[in-house]
Amino acid sequence: MKISLNWLKEYIDLSDISVDEIVSRLTMSGLEVESVEDQNELFKNFIVGYVEERGKHPNADKLSLCVVNNGKEKVKVVCGAPNVAAGQKVVFAQIGAVVPSSGMKITKAKIRGEESNGMLCSEAELGLSEDHSGIIELESSIKEGTTISEALHLNDVLLEIGVTPNRADALSHIGVARDLAAIFQRELKYPSLQLKDSKKRIDDYASIEIADTTNCPRYSAKVVLNAEIKESPEWMKRRLKAIGLRPINNIVDVTNFVLHEMGQPLHAFDLDKLAQQKIVVKKAEPDAAFTTLDGKERKLPDGALMICDGEKAVAVAGVMGGENSEVTATTKNILIESAYFSPSSIRKTSKALGLSTDASYRFERGTDPARTIFAAERAAALMAELSGGEVVNACIDAYPNQLAEKEITLRFAQVKRILGYTIPELKIIAILNALGIKVIKEEKEKITVLAPLFRPDIEREIDLIEEVARINNYDEIPTISKIAIPISEKVDESEFVDELRSIAVGLGFNEILSIPMITEKAARIFGEPIELLNPQGSEMGFLRTSLMASALHSVEKNINVGEKSLKLFEIGKVFKKVNTELNSFDDFVEEERFLFILTGKSTEKEWYSSEKEYDFFDLKSFVNEAFRKKTLDNLLNDSYYHNANKIFDYSFSKSHGKTLLGEGGRVKKAVLKQFGIQQDVFCFEGSVEALKTITGKEKTFSELLRFPKMNRDFAFILEKEIPSNDVVSFIKKKGSKILKDVHPFDLFEHPSIGETKKSVAYSLSYYDPERTLTDEEVDKDFHQLIESVTKAFNATLRGK
Amino acid sequence: MLSQIEQLTTECLSAIESAKDQKQLEEVRIKYLSRNGSIAELFEALKTVPKEEKPLLGKELNKLRTKAESLFSEKKLSVDDSISQGAKRIDLTLPARKVELGHKHLLTQTLDEIKSIFKGLGFSVYEGPELESDYYNFEALNFPADHPARDMQDTFFVNKEFLLRTHTSPVQVRLMEKLQPPLRAIMPGKVYRNEAISSRSHCMFHQVEGLCVDTDVTFAELKGTLVAFAKQFYGRELNYRFRPSFFPFTEPSAEMDITCFLCKGKGCRVCKHSGWLEVLGCGMVDPNVFAFANYDTEKYTGYAFGMGIERTAMLKYGMTDIRTFFENDVRFLKQF
Repeated sequence: MKISLNWLKEYIDLSDISVDEIVSRLTMSGLEVESVEDQNELFKNFIVGYVEERGKHPNADKLSLCVVNNGKEKVKVVCGAPNVAAGQKVVFAQIGAVVPSSGMKITKAKIRGEESNGMLCSEAELGLSEDHSGIIELESSIKEGTTISEALHLNDVLLEIGVTPNRADALSHIGVARDLAAIFQRELKYPSLQLKDSKKRIDDYASIEIADTTNCPRYSAKVVLNAEIKESPEWMKRRLKAIGLRPINNIVDVTNFVLHEMGQPLHAFDLDKLAQQKIVVKKAEPDAAFTTLDGKERKLPDGALMICDGEKAVAVAGVMGGENSEVTATTKNILIESAYFSPSSIRKTSKALGLSTDASYRFERGTDPARTIFAAERAAALMAELSGGEVVNACIDAYPNQLAEKEITLRFAQVKRILGYTIPELKIIAILNALGIKVIKEEKEKITVLAPLFRPDIEREIDLIEEVARINNYDEIPTISKIAIPISEKVDESEFVDELRSIAVGLGFNEILSIPMITEKAARIFGEPIELLNPQGSEMGFLRTSLMASALHSVEKNINVGEKSLKLFEIGKVFKKVNTELNSFDDFVEEERFLFILTGKSTEKEWYSSEKEYDFFDLKSFVNEAFRKKTLDNLLNDSYYHNANKIFDYSFSKSHGKTLLGEGGRVKKAVLKQFGIQQDVFCFEGSVEALKTITGKEKTFSELLRFPKMNRDFAFILEKEIPSNDVVSFIKKKGSKILKDVHPFDLFEHPSIGETKKSVAYSLSYYDPERTLTDEEVDKDFHQLIESVTKAFNATLRGK
Repeated sequence: MLSQIEQLTTECLSAIESAKDQKQLEEVRIKYLSRNGSIAELFEALKTVPKEEKPLLGKELNKLRTKAESLFSEKKLSVDDSISQGAKRIDLTLPARKVELGHKHLLTQTLDEIKSIFKGLGFSVYEGPELESDYYNFEALNFPADHPARDMQDTFFVNKEFLLRTHTSPVQVRLMEKLQPPLRAIMPGKVYRNEAISSRSHCMFHQVEGLCVDTDVTFAELKGTLVAFAKQFYGRELNYRFRPSFFPFTEPSAEMDITCFLCKGKGCRVCKHSGWLEVLGCGMVDPNVFAFANYDTEKYTGYAFGMGIERTAMLKYGMTDIRTFFENDVRFLKQF
């Protein structure tokens, strides 16, 4: 919201307070000043110039060569405007001036070979309007050398204030002035009303009927007769232009002026266009359409509150007037609407129409129902002044649904209990009174106040404490450090994933964070996805059902920038439907998962090694190590799937009992194709929640082995289909108690041993924690195992 | 004999010391330390001395031998310039074998730092769901239906009832439903806003929520805690201010600004020429929120705060585009 300091000063005396002070105190009281535009600063070095001569530029057809008198001397200026002529008074940007619209600094320059000592400006260049058709021509009576700030009355300071949604009361100049009055403890001056007595009675000109009193508790109206519609005077136009509004005509300008003066939105109807000169406030008919005064036909939402005349709708209440009743050049008689509508009703309509106006913005935050008449009278008086019209005596005021000011008690002790410091009672009372919150009863330990209707945000004691705190400046609140809660109570729910993250980083993985909103196609690969009602596009229409679905995008992006070897991990949430309709938290699952991704080369071409691609066993080793670190290795079952499923060509899973912890393998080409990836990718995705349920046994120390291990190796020629792990399990089962580990260490395939055969070598470790083993007992077990393996797998011992 | 030992000590040790190469050292060894060397000769002579002198002389002689032997082996290594048997000369300037540590995401690292500071201040860490209900995300946080306050947060809806949480504040409500005061907790996590993705804003970002409830928690304590945090996180030489603001779930509400650390408060593009950077929102828990949690507002007071992580990290590391965080380019990931 833009606030003009010149305008503001009509309601409060700020003459002895600097702009910096005003800005800083407003910000520190909750009306954040986001930017300050000081026109004196902005238009520094812009002065009135007198064009003494205009000649042609020798080297450019469209440029003129002018001699400009700046009040002190005559300088040469190159100008490109078509309308420049000798004898004009113009806006002259001197060297050093900064053009507001472009930020360009004016320097002495040569333009097409001719010297130029400044620039003649258009309205657009000064940021005053969009008009860039030519330079501004000033009145000839203004003396050259006069500053533009003075000549054009551009000596205002404009504040851009960010008003939070609770501060409906601050959305006007008087509203801001009220806060300043409380801050600086000064008087707030309301505009005075001078209405001439008229012999005419309002009831003869208009009537009002409210059908929906819930959504329209109050509707006041005032009538102005025989107005002459014309341009507003300069002072009015200046006020509106300063805050970025375009002047239209004296009637519309007044409604805008009063809105920005006191926050009450008004609407001016052409009284003669209102059938039966009657206003009816009621809900829109279902499926009705209406043409607003911007010329657009709009479908009205159900239940939209409408202003109607005796026959038809004439305005969307609180949002925008209708084309059929707007004030035009031929309008003579005017009905000024000054109403209070229910905030939620206006908000619903405005949202449904996708139409937010200065009026709806204020109505949906809450205007002041107590001041509708004052606003209507203020507008009527101004209209009469600006249009020569006659104000009909009195107002029509339909106020069927009286709103009452709320009584609130403030206990002084509560101020300290919340803020942590004491504010003197007299100061509390002074602040509240200055804000228009009337103190109606003072007692020893508390006061009772009436919350004014223009402060819908003030309902409770705590709201009053906030008012006092903010006006008294938050800087006054002391800064106290204390730790009051026993540390033994500490919980850290993120510890588990933090550890998982550290493990992944230790294994050399880089962490990614992906947006969980993905395409439907990608989401469907991994489960029944949840759709967003209002996505940013179909590319982001569904929530991920697996981390892979979002992470593969990152893989593709990296490959595209030439990073083809990747070792990535992610920890994040996935979302899946359980039931078709989502009515409760039981109808979907949100699950935290973790993902490992490998693609490209594990080793690049190096002097010590040839290049090597990541493969299944790299994935398996990292996954195993990550799980082992979580102390769970001996509890888990690995399963291997040599055949393809929906996602993987081949894969393995890890589970604990019946709980699946995760699954991974080589991602199918068909899946990768959807993400535009052309190289092999190995992924493992697991459930953090499932992993958490197996806390594992508390780790205990195992005694380090004090007796030597004994090793024996053998190799068998086996059928290729026999999984090597089957042999390992078999050996472990058949071996005696002293056999502690079996590890396959060599794999050999060659036609010389048969096309369907392979040779696998195993290393066996024997030990006993209690004693040193003898060669005899180890050999005995070893030879028995050779025999059993040979028999069980139809294998041949190699080297025999 | 004692003087003989003393003389030999000086002579032998300096001989070892001054040997210049293997050959000289071997000569010294033969002269003094070999089976027929000077020291052995003295041991031989020891047999003939009177019995009562033996212990002292023996001790001195032993001392000499130990000292000489250890000096000798030390010297032997230092004059040895021959390469070990079988060792080859190699090119040591070849590049090192590649070993790469992984990297936590910069946002994780930033979050870790924030968590560790608050844990040090006695806060616990809790988490909550990202797919939230309207009740937890808005209603119980005192956002009435059809109130303009809801416009402050553009929301991704799944249906009328469920949405992607727009802030981490719903975890406050969940925590208060579950636990009784005293409470002192932070709640980090991802949040979502339906905002156009640009260099300055994204549809997903991270927040850290904070909540403290007890019998006598005041705004002054809120200030104290957040200033303590900010000094640890942003640096000791920190200027700050608390400025009134509005959040439906706190009253009074504030925003905390710190001096812009790029321009040191002089005003620059990053701080929009104000000299201040907004780093977090905070306030005293609104009694309406306590009512949803069935906490007695006459007994308990509390404060809450929330901060975004991305902007903080961007400022700290001089990043200009928020999208960098989620593009997951490994060249970025490996930088931190």
